[in-house]
Amino acid sequence: MKNLSFLFIFGISFFPLLCFSFDPETPTDRRVLVLLDDFSLKSSHSIFFNSLKSRGFDLDFKLADDPTLSLRRYGQYLYDALILFSPSTERFGGSLDLAAVLDFVDSGHDLIVAVDASASDLIKNIATECGVDFDEDSSAMVIDHKSYAISGTEGDHTLIASDDFIQSDVILGKTKIKAPVIFKGIAHSVNAANNLVLKVLSASPSAYSANPKSELSSPPLLTGSAISLVSVVQARNNARIMIAGSLDLFSNRLLRTAVQKAGSPDKYEKSGNEQFVTEISKWVFHERGHLKAVNLKHNKVGETDEPAIYRIKDDLKFSVKIYEWSGKSWETYVADDVQVQFYMMSPYVLKTLSTDGKGLYHASFKVPDVYGVFQFKVDYLRLGYTSLSLSKQIPVRPFRHNEYERFITTAFPYYGASFTTMAGFFIFSILYLYNK
Amino acid sequence: MARSLAGFLALFPFVLICGAASLFQPISDSHRSAALELFTPTHGSFKSLEETYEALRTFEVLGIEKKPDVTATACRSISETLGSLTSTPKDLFYALKANSIVKCKINEKTSEFFFFFTLQKGIFTRLNAAVNGASSLLDFYYSIGGLVLIKGQTSKADVYLTDAEGVFRSVKAFSQSDGRWRYSSNNPESSAFAAGIALETLAGIVSLASSEMDQSLIITLKNDVSKLFDSIEKYDVGALYFDDKLVDGREHQGPLSTTSSVVRGLTALAAVTAGSVNLPGDKILGLAKFFLGIGVPGDAEDFFNQIDSLACLESNRVSIPLILSLPSTELSLTKKDSLKVRVNTVLGSNAPPLTVKLVGAFSSGSKDASLVESQELKFDAETGVHILSNLPKSIDVGSYTFVFEIVLHESEHVKVYVTGSQTKVPIFVTGLIKIESAEITVLDGDLGSIETQKKLDLAGHNAVSLSANHLQKLRISFQLTTPRGRAFRPHQALLKLRHESKIEHIFLVGNSGKQFEIVLNFLGLVEKFFYLSGRYDIELTVGDAVMENSLLRAIGHIELDLPEPPEKAPRPPPQPVDPYSRYGPKAEITHIFRAPEKHPPKELSLAFLGLTILPLLGFLVGLLRLGVNLKNFPSKAIPATFAILFHVGIGAVLLLYVLFWLKLDLFQTLKLLGFLGVFLVLVGHRILSHLAATSAKVKSA
Repeated sequence: MKNLSFLFIFGISFFPLLCFSFDPETPTDRRVLVLLDDFSLKSSHSIFFNSLKSRGFDLDFKLADDPTLSLRRYGQYLYDALILFSPSTERFGGSLDLAAVLDFVDSGHDLIVAVDASASDLIKNIATECGVDFDEDSSAMVIDHKSYAISGTEGDHTLIASDDFIQSDVILGKTKIKAPVIFKGIAHSVNAANNLVLKVLSASPSAYSANPKSELSSPPLLTGSAISLVSVVQARNNARIMIAGSLDLFSNRLLRTAVQKAGSPDKYEKSGNEQFVTEISKWVFHERGHLKAVNLKHNKVGETDEPAIYRIKDDLKFSVKIYEWSGKSWETYVADDVQVQFYMMSPYVLKTLSTDGKGLYHASFKVPDVYGVFQFKVDYLRLGYTSLSLSKQIPVRPFRHNEYERFITTAFPYYGASFTTMAGFFIFSILYLYNK
Repeated sequence: MARSLAGFLALFPFVLICGAASLFQPISDSHRSAALELFTPTHGSFKSLEETYEALRTFEVLGIEKKPDVTATACRSISETLGSLTSTPKDLFYALKANSIVKCKINEKTSEFFFFFTLQKGIFTRLNAAVNGASSLLDFYYSIGGLVLIKGQTSKADVYLTDAEGVFRSVKAFSQSDGRWRYSSNNPESSAFAAGIALETLAGIVSLASSEMDQSLIITLKNDVSKLFDSIEKYDVGALYFDDKLVDGREHQGPLSTTSSVVRGLTALAAVTAGSVNLPGDKILGLAKFFLGIGVPGDAEDFFNQIDSLACLESNRVSIPLILSLPSTELSLTKKDSLKVRVNTVLGSNAPPLTVKLVGAFSSGSKDASLVESQELKFDAETGVHILSNLPKSIDVGSYTFVFEIVLHESEHVKVYVTGSQTKVPIFVTGLIKIESAEITVLDGDLGSIETQKKLDLAGHNAVSLSANHLQKLRISFQLTTPRGRAFRPHQALLKLRHESKIEHIFLVGNSGKQFEIVLNFLGLVEKFFYLSGRYDIELTVGDAVMENSLLRAIGHIELDLPEPPEKAPRPPPQPVDPYSRYGPKAEITHIFRAPEKHPPKELSLAFLGLTILPLLGFLVGLLRLGVNLKNFPSKAIPATFAILFHVGIGAVLLLYVLFWLKLDLFQTLKLLGFLGVFLVLVGHRILSHLAATSAKVKSA
């Protein structure tokens, strides 16, 4: 009993720590739940896990059928990210199921799914919900008779070497991945209707998805570059998902192996896998490509205070600061394609902001001669970056009665006529009264 | 149920790894580089003596020369542990173990020799006391292990157990009927891991016994071992391992550490007892395959277990496994590759004289009789490789399973080594496939008469351009022949038609013998093509795992003229949008302001302004011509003042109007005008009534 109460107090005092979760100010994930089919994966994929640990992640390894599995307790999520390295799991243990995983992602958490030829329906369904469709034929693998990795011992060309990466520095890092990535697994295609999912690693045009052991009886469903080997999704809530058709892609064996692509004279000491999985995991876990915008400001040219309303044809100055999260701190973000819109039902002004190279973006323009309630809008959608969507409402009024031009030259003849008449009247009134 | 499922899942990755290469390679350089990566000391030392021992043992077994130098720090912590009175038997055990490899030079100096000697004496008595007071298996294991290590490290032979048989019996009391052991008498759970520890402990007791042990004890122990091996588990690739099913309770030992523990116990036992332990050699080979099948573990402990167990197997007294491996399982017929086979011990050292025989070759997937006669491979002593330089004529390109047999030359080796009866190895025989008489034809509808026919060179570049309508057919044909002149059926023979809108249609190219042919009847395909007329690019892919010249060729294009789609025709599916085009900046928008009103030129306005002054001037000139005067101005002071005030008032109102134009607004003007108006009414009334009175007087007069 004494023990129990001690445990209770202990638990309570640590509870705030447990609740310490994903925070918009420090978006990098911290606690990662890794679900495995077997603990031996910890050893066979140790390089990948160690690279995560060395970057400060707290990995919690569990078997996928562990009866104590749960992602949330008392309405709080216990983890920031989930790694599913359990392709053959038909049912998760504990309270985890397909809906719980999707809720986890819907609440802005990250997910890495790796499958292999034994992928279960559960894992395939998770992928389908994310906009990725795996080949329905469960015995099919990606085969490529033209760009396979020469290994000497695996002759069925299912060990393929691919170097068709997505062109994005933010997803794959600034350093170019020189060596091809070795892949052995199953094919998927990205859903054409889903524009959030991106192919990061695609197969070569000669690849196809089929069972290597039996003859083809019908044309393969997935062929050529339509086959995606690794895809990523960035949801609208900035949750990031990576789906890989190969669990071996992350294994020590493929990370450490030398690689030579068939038909190419270049030999590499090490495959590109290590760089690939490290860089992409940095992206998935928000160590890169996470933007925030602060200090959205606007004022009339020559003033510093933000007005409550603008008049048509005012000259105004707009500025915003944008930072990128580097995994440890917020660094200034430098780009030349940030745009601002002055928006009422449709953009009236759309202008590219110029930058001072220190994260400050600014532009000045004249308020349109249409009055109404406008918005300053910054919709920044770039490949791989989190989306920035800011808006600030501001009314615009027409000229006041005394703000129109007063001395119009064209009207001078009229004024002249009036004033001469008045002068005439003045003289006439004197003469009329006193003439004799 | 859950437990068995967990067990099943536990097997899985190993199967995968083994399945990837059902051929086992002995330990190689990749292990050596991995060892240096895994065992890296932090600040010149390892975390614990246990880890130090594991690292040093691994380096020793792998024969790594350039290992990190930890001797000084290791020796310091060893002597600290040995000297400390509070260290447990476990600490002493690992300190002695580490010392057995580091061989600290304390023994050399005489002064320290005495110190060490007395130290050893002290440890000896302490460990002996620990043996007598031990109640659990692990207590026995550490204290007996420590004693064995002391015996190994001193020249003096006075290290022995006084009551060896008694201790033996008390350890033996933990054994179970199925060959597994318990950790202590009050813990009912038994495990294979504990069995391994027990065997090692008992082997230690036997070696420490002052007199010959009772043989019956040894014999029952050996029976226990064979019972334990009855519970061994198996993968379908021939690897054998032990696994403890108990997951709850104690920390779960994985199959690797369990198997490793059993192997250590078994080899220790075999080393100290006379006569052989009666185990089939296949089981030892299976264990070796299990350890090799793991590949390179990424965990230091797993790595040590693997290497240490393999080292135990390498020099055990039961039977030493020999591993048959092939540097390459892909042989090219075109390049006339020879079949090379290597036979090594598990750690990669040379095998005794032996002959490798190729006893059979089967085309994979078929159960037919062997394609080759049994033949011996030639041994090349320089490289240590067995070679079959010419593949038999009956072997064409394809995937095969070769069956090898190892025959040891000397009969006493047969007892020492175990080779396994037959080794099956999957082999891919590759070659250049000849592609001939490729042509593409457009046929006319029902008659089948040839409209256009073009030859294709599938090895080179093609750019045919054809056109067809929906009543015509397209035929593509080619022939494939293997280097041995037989028909070849590739796994991948696909024809792809890609419309301008990136919609792809894929067809399998069928064959009859050597001839591959596909006929596309467009009439039947219009619906599948979504009635999309236009340019279709044609692409042919022919590939196979054993085809060295797998090809992907763009042949050219065909201009299709298909009928207009009926109303209910299926729509083509949406094609994925290019991600690069979806992002990126939008075109800038600038607001177009309303154009300012058109004004006449300034000069014109000013000219008219000038004109408006002219009437005033005319008026003034007219007045002067009329000869106006001010004779009627009142001469008296009061009316004169009112007259002046009245006209000043009018002037002020007019001035107010000017000001209204220049700067004032309507309200200011009206306010002022109000005051001025009242003033004007007052003074106006006075002066006007005065003027009226004056004129009335004049009239009446």
